[in-house]
Amino acid sequence: MDVFHGLIQGFEIALSFQGLMFVFIGVVVGTVIGMIPGLGPITAIAVMIPITYGMDPAIALLLMAGVYYGAAYGGAAASILLNAPGTSEAVATTFDGYPLAKQGHAGKALALSAIGSFVGGTISIILLTFLAPTLAKVAVSFGPPEYFALMLLGLTAIASLSEGSTIKALISGTIGLMIATVGIDAQTGTARFTFGNAHLLEGIDFLVIALGLFALAEVASLIKNRKEKATNMHSVGSLKLTKAEAKEVAPTMGRQSLLGFLVGVLPGAGGTIASFMAYISEKKLSKNPEKFGKGAIRGVAAPESANNAASGGAFVPLLSLGIPGSGTTAVMLGALIVLGIQPGPLLMNDHPDVFWGVIASMYIGNILLLILNLPLIPYISRILLVPRQLLISLIIVFCIIGVYAVSFSTFDLYLLLGFGVLGYVMRVIKFPAAPMLLAFILGGMMEQAFRQSLTISNGSLSIFVTSPIAAGMLLVAFLAFLVPIIKSRKSKKNDPAENNKSA
Amino acid sequence: MFRTKNKKVSIALILIAIVYLILSFQLPSYAYVPVDSDLVPIGLGVILLLLSAMLFFTKDQEQKENEEHIPKKDLPIVLGVICFTILYIALLEIIGFIMTTMLFLFLCSLFLGYRKHVVNAAVSIVIPILIYLLFNDFLQVSLPTGILPF
Amino acid sequence: MKKRLALFALILLMVVTTACSSGSKNAGGSSDDKGDSGEWKPDKPIEIVAPSGAGGGWDTTARMAAKMFNEAGIIDQKIGVVNKEGGGGSVGWAYVASKEGSPYNLFVSSPPLLLVPLNGQSKYDHEDFTPLANVIADYAAFAVKADAKWDNLNELFDDMKKDPSSITVVGASAPGSMDHIQFIKIAKAAGVDITKIKYVSDQDGGALTSLLNGSVDVYSTGVAETVEQVKAGKIKVLGVTSEERLEGDTLSDFPTAKEQGIDATFVNWRGFFGPPKMDKAAVKYYEEKFKELSDSKEFAEVREKYGWDEMYMDSEEYKKFLDEQKEEIKGLLDDLGLAK
Repeated sequence: MDVFHGLIQGFEIALSFQGLMFVFIGVVVGTVIGMIPGLGPITAIAVMIPITYGMDPAIALLLMAGVYYGAAYGGAAASILLNAPGTSEAVATTFDGYPLAKQGHAGKALALSAIGSFVGGTISIILLTFLAPTLAKVAVSFGPPEYFALMLLGLTAIASLSEGSTIKALISGTIGLMIATVGIDAQTGTARFTFGNAHLLEGIDFLVIALGLFALAEVASLIKNRKEKATNMHSVGSLKLTKAEAKEVAPTMGRQSLLGFLVGVLPGAGGTIASFMAYISEKKLSKNPEKFGKGAIRGVAAPESANNAASGGAFVPLLSLGIPGSGTTAVMLGALIVLGIQPGPLLMNDHPDVFWGVIASMYIGNILLLILNLPLIPYISRILLVPRQLLISLIIVFCIIGVYAVSFSTFDLYLLLGFGVLGYVMRVIKFPAAPMLLAFILGGMMEQAFRQSLTISNGSLSIFVTSPIAAGMLLVAFLAFLVPIIKSRKSKKNDPAENNKSA
Repeated sequence: MFRTKNKKVSIALILIAIVYLILSFQLPSYAYVPVDSDLVPIGLGVILLLLSAMLFFTKDQEQKENEEHIPKKDLPIVLGVICFTILYIALLEIIGFIMTTMLFLFLCSLFLGYRKHVVNAAVSIVIPILIYLLFNDFLQVSLPTGILPF
Repeated sequence: MKKRLALFALILLMVVTTACSSGSKNAGGSSDDKGDSGEWKPDKPIEIVAPSGAGGGWDTTARMAAKMFNEAGIIDQKIGVVNKEGGGGSVGWAYVASKEGSPYNLFVSSPPLLLVPLNGQSKYDHEDFTPLANVIADYAAFAVKADAKWDNLNELFDDMKKDPSSITVVGASAPGSMDHIQFIKIAKAAGVDITKIKYVSDQDGGALTSLLNGSVDVYSTGVAETVEQVKAGKIKVLGVTSEERLEGDTLSDFPTAKEQGIDATFVNWRGFFGPPKMDKAAVKYYEEKFKELSDSKEFAEVREKYGWDEMYMDSEEYKKFLDEQKEEIKGLLDDLGLAK
């Protein structure tokens, strides 16, 4: 079956009344679930599995696609409005999304996120439609040494995420890497830094750190300003982008969608690395990098396009090879198995209806998400009009539920509170929190990939340079790390005030 | 001030690095891999030590108006909210999600100075119940019931 | 508007019930009608703990069992699945262990219940709990790339004996856990020096990728994970760990280790347990119900969908089986010096 024939068949199902209805339900449910910190696409799909049991697979897939996109978008909304990233993919969105919301441009930030997601999603589905079999080769080209190099490249972002002192950013990143070493080490089974506590054996959950360092630390600032009225109330819901702004973000969305898709194709890399890389590269490309972190619209458009494109990219290894490349696609795989479909290299030949059904439902889900959510933005952003005193209590409750629904342990809740306090202290002493979180996210995988490589090579470091891909990325990482340091040294000599200006 | 802020922070960090290093050296060894589980932690400990030392000799950034600094009078409020949160966590599994969340929402907002008691009560009652229904019945994720029968 | 009214009514109802009933419930299972007759029936909702996050094998088994119990009308009481993630299961086990005697707190488990305590990561092992029934079985498969030079386990093991440092085995879990031990067990029976085996663990879903791109040589995994790749001619399965050949298309082509002259098997069993000191009458009740579940056509469908094998054992058999399994695994871990 050729591409167009397959797609038409897929669309016939997706555009039927029943099909549309289920995508619609999926998008709405997904958005709601995604907005609660802690409940991301993984949980949303996992809870849908028993519900879809026994349903027509094509229809069930439509529901899943809707939930998937909805949850990803809902997560962005929590990042922008409350500084509470519910999934690691949404962390980079907080960097400029939350400042925008604080300045009274929540509507604009949400609209950017919706449009960016739509563009990223659409570009990646188009690429998926035509290039999936070709890209399948790329997906399996990465082994442990290549992953190590990629993660290291991702880590160089630490230097770029620093506002002011590079040393502080590096310290923050190092501590993030240290936190990632807590738990059972996968290569040896050794329990590290767990102090005999069973809750620490699997390491500290991403959510505990993200919600603590970002959302709870922000609560303390909200407390200080609790008597202020929310700023610019009249404009909170306005979605309007000026022509100039539209012109500014269009190329961003285009190129970051491509980048995101490519990173997403690599199993294990996924949306988090894609969104960080997009953010950093956009900052580097920008003529006004100092605006990033203070409400730059490109700082929202870039990660949002990239992480959605990456989630499309993650379907390449799933659908063409049967390899789930991310947590979400792993759960998707489970869902497909329940529906009686075993994704694998033969899926496209054996079940073309399913393959094209998935792709068609992704197109539809993506479009419906945009249509549904743009009009909803003014209502969603009204959450900012909730009186501060009430909002503070609500944010705390949401963070607690989010963590509890993942870990079901009060130990993690105390830990969450601890990271909240740490996040606040770091703000006071001007240590950036983002490098810590980024290093934590990448650190675990990076260390494992490093040591897997060395086990394979029987301890020889040459394994990292004999692979051209790994060697190339390591070189780029090295340069990306050194150049800014040299630059800052130079500029410091030339203009001592420079350092403070950018702080 | 006799010592700059950077110096204080740096000393705290050096202590953390030393503790971390001591713990790293105590990790049990595993015979079947070329690189054991203590290599990366030891490396990180050393890096943190070096970076902290560099921080020690870095001059403080010019003290501009520190946005994040809490005025003295707000400190008790922040501590109060932390106490409320600790109580909330401690009681969550004992009394159950609905009751504790209701109490927390109402009392914490009240404590922060929210004076519209009717709105506050309504929110504190409706939100926990909605969330509970969403999780337990729709998502099949059981939140602690505690002393309530459902 | 109607919806709001309904919601309001609901809330009112809840508040009233809350007010009336707080304190009227007592802890544990003391309100059960046990009596001397040995009959027991649940009179309130049952909780099944999945000692892992949503979406994994334990979670799926628990949710499917709960659903089928109700759907096939075997148990009428509501059955809720609770995830207690952490410590490879030990957090969930500690939770159930605290519910001593309660007939309402079950959990689902599999070989990690033996492995994790042996690795020193859980205070509780199967002897602390009340085995109720085993329901399903799964087996391990050892796969290599389709163009690899080995065509059966013996060729692979011969090469491993000659030059152990040239062959890397990958699995999705840490040394001492299931993917590692299942390979070690078979390799040891084949006479390989198991202290020389190079094993890497990839917990981020990259194990199969690493096999396909040649980074590693052997993939130790579950049978179900290999089927599609074999069909597509990407990998070949050198051996599976079941007693006899499995049934089903492609599956029946996989040779067992046994038929290749290696006298060892490995079962990834999965079953249900209750807290310590569960009442005999309740154990009997659950034994019967799980038997009914296992025999139901609804659950047979579930098994087929997930590619699980039927393997029912009642409480007594199960306990004996687990004791034997534990001894075997302990022996392997002792050889590696990993047992704690």
